[in-house]
Amino acid sequence: AVGPKGIFRVIERSEQWSVGELEPEDFGAIRELSMNPIGDRIISAFFSPGKETVDFASFVRILAHFHPTETSRSRDGVQPEPANSRTRKLKFAFQLYDQDRDGKISREELLQVLRTMLEMQVTEEQLQSIAERAIQEADLDQDDAISFDEFRKVRGVDLIRDQIDNWEY
Amino acid sequence: MTAACLQHKSPFLRLARRSSFLPLTGLMCVLLLVFVSVASASRDVVSENNETWRGPAGETRGDSHNQTNSTAHKKAFPVLSFNYEHVRKPFEISLWILLALLMKLGFHIIPGVQNIVPESCLLIGVGLLVGGIIKAIGEEAPVLDTKLFFLYLLPPIILDAGYFLPIRPFTENMGTILVFAVVGTLWNTFFIGGMIYGVCRIEGGQLASVDPLSCLLFGTIVSAVDPVAVLAVFEEIHINELLHILVFGESLLNDAVTVVLYHLFEEFTHAGTVTVVDAILGVVCFFVVSLGGILVGAIYGILGAFTSRFTSHTRVIEPLFVFLYSYMAYLSAEVFHLSGIMSLIACGVVMRPYVEANVSHKSYTTIKYFLKMWSSVSETLIFIFLGVSTVAGPHAWNWTFVIVTVVLCLVSRVLGVIGLTYIINKFRIVKLTKKDQFIVAYGGLRGAIAFSLGFLLTNSEMKNMFLTAIITVIFFTVIVQGMTIRPLVDLLAVKKKKESKRSINEEIHTQFLDHLLTGIEDICGHYGHHHWKDKLNRFNKAYVKKWLIAGERSTEPQLISFYNKMEMKQAMMLVESGSTAQLPTIVSSVSMQNIKPRGPARQRAIPSISKSREQEIRKILRANLQKTRQRLRSYSRHDLMIDPFEDNVSEVRFRRQRVEMERRVSLTATVILFMSVRALEIQDSLCS
Repeated sequence: AVGPKGIFRVIERSEQWSVGELEPEDFGAIRELSMNPIGDRIISAFFSPGKETVDFASFVRILAHFHPTETSRSRDGVQPEPANSRTRKLKFAFQLYDQDRDGKISREELLQVLRTMLEMQVTEEQLQSIAERAIQEADLDQDDAISFDEFRKVRGVDLIRDQIDNWEY
Repeated sequence: MTAACLQHKSPFLRLARRSSFLPLTGLMCVLLLVFVSVASASRDVVSENNETWRGPAGETRGDSHNQTNSTAHKKAFPVLSFNYEHVRKPFEISLWILLALLMKLGFHIIPGVQNIVPESCLLIGVGLLVGGIIKAIGEEAPVLDTKLFFLYLLPPIILDAGYFLPIRPFTENMGTILVFAVVGTLWNTFFIGGMIYGVCRIEGGQLASVDPLSCLLFGTIVSAVDPVAVLAVFEEIHINELLHILVFGESLLNDAVTVVLYHLFEEFTHAGTVTVVDAILGVVCFFVVSLGGILVGAIYGILGAFTSRFTSHTRVIEPLFVFLYSYMAYLSAEVFHLSGIMSLIACGVVMRPYVEANVSHKSYTTIKYFLKMWSSVSETLIFIFLGVSTVAGPHAWNWTFVIVTVVLCLVSRVLGVIGLTYIINKFRIVKLTKKDQFIVAYGGLRGAIAFSLGFLLTNSEMKNMFLTAIITVIFFTVIVQGMTIRPLVDLLAVKKKKESKRSINEEIHTQFLDHLLTGIEDICGHYGHHHWKDKLNRFNKAYVKKWLIAGERSTEPQLISFYNKMEMKQAMMLVESGSTAQLPTIVSSVSMQNIKPRGPARQRAIPSISKSREQEIRKILRANLQKTRQRLRSYSRHDLMIDPFEDNVSEVRFRRQRVEMERRVSLTATVILFMSVRALEIQDSLCS
């Protein structure tokens, strides 16, 4: 799980801690996060769909995704998959793309991600071409969207696996 | 590089395969002999006496005498004269380089050799051979001049390495690399120096006169991992990126340590006594040398980037700016006894992103290939000279000393790596496994830098002994370790480099994940790696790019420039190789509906085509039609090539792209597509 230092810092930043729950506005108080292009996506990832607040346990559960993967862990089938396994991490990243949680990254969702990341410095046509190309590279079953399996198989993600394994905190 | 040569399937190669090796080896022998004769001629001391002249140079003397004496007797006008003296020096230099490169060529043509023996070993072997022949003749062989090495041969290799340094793995592993470079080299120096001194004390006899400072100096020279040797060997084994950057980064960064220690110990041997103040000054000196070197490099890098902003009208000289600024950085650092290597690396690293955004595509290619070319030539020359100098130099062989040195080098390297990895792994997330440690330890090769530094030593009776030991260590590491590292890598099943091209997905996801991790770090309040990287990127985007990149490219986000580069690469591939280009797109059955309805709309007067012509067209199209389908699928209306069948104005959209590229590509593409449509029309008309 997250180290104790991290939790204390988060506690310092949120004044609602006594109540035991966090709201999106508390996250908005973190200045750097508001400058982050995908800041609001990250914030919304903490909140389960429909809920307005997040309690401590869920908060920590989300952050647990970011612990380094222990590849040498032996798992029997009974134990539930740990939060920091590679698949769960990939799933977390995938869900950040897939805002409507339908299990696929549609072209529109990809365009939205690109738009936020490129911060309106590009023309619409360039965005379209990039999204087109990305989907072409990844889309194996020709449904014009990227499912989770296709996401995992994409050549690029293969190389990022090392990066994902290295997530700390 | 090596594989590409073999695949070229030149007629020479086919000939070589069919016939025996004899003609090739014969050719090599002839080359060797010419090499040797030139070398011997070049060593002749230019003197006034005629007796010392030999070989082709001898004739010129007589001739020039004749010419100077011509005023006395009236001779006939010389129609053809021989004046070698005039061009002697450049002629010999060029001939040396040419023959060295022909050797290198020869190695690649002889099949099978390079799989067993790395190129560096072969070149050293050639050098030994040449040196041996020269010595047998009785001439004095040329030695690897230290000034020549440090000022002319080393910089191109380092610049090539620095300019193309993979930044991401380098910065990610910076801590590890620094620990290996600084602490590892220090450990090696003191361990080897100390143990050698102890052994000398114990042995007595000839070795008793060796004092501790000389031993430490010797330890410094022999303990530094050499970038040239590492590059030469590692390039052929295609090891995974992490290990490559660890060993290579270490070899680059330990230059600062080596420079400081070398000058330190040399001063001390002259001064005689060492005080604590001197030791502290030494530590300060280290920081000055390394940080100063980096600063000098960065300044020149920024200057170079700034200059490249204004070169849009004089594209031809753009590459020269890159080379000259970098070389100046190296020389300026050497003036102040700072670390020239680090300065060169810093210059290349700082300059590269801005220069690449500013220069034309042709200049970019020129820079790339010139750097590769110069570094290749330098490397070849260095290894050959190493072999020649070995035969030439004065030697003092002392069995104990040499054997102890070699053993100690190995032992200290292994111990150092294991010990440091144990400490480093506590801070690393991706731990270094035992296999990784072995490769890092085994890859610590010594090379020509050690030799040159040894040559710089002031002449003493120990210098020859030291030099012999250094040469032995170099030979051992380069030949034995260099030859065996490839089978060992295969044996241990070490991860090799993944030869995959960067895809647009990878780029998008990498950036996305960077943002994600930065965000998470911000939530936790943890100012980690990503936080600072993000800050640097913002600073770069907000201030630096505006100053150093010309025009509107300065606001272009990284993803867009990457995408443009990809598209351009793909378009160029298509233009260059008609039917053999591999497109990463999916082959899907494209409906010809895309063109069919347009066809009749573009009714042109189809001239009657003869049967043979039509066959020709059909054949070409059959070969290319598959390509055409793919092209139509991937090159939709958003793409680089102006699709002549679209009435949407794609030209307007891509005005920001490079115009000449666009024109060229679109022209060829238009021709091909037009041909295909015409052929289809012909087919239609023939069928109906």
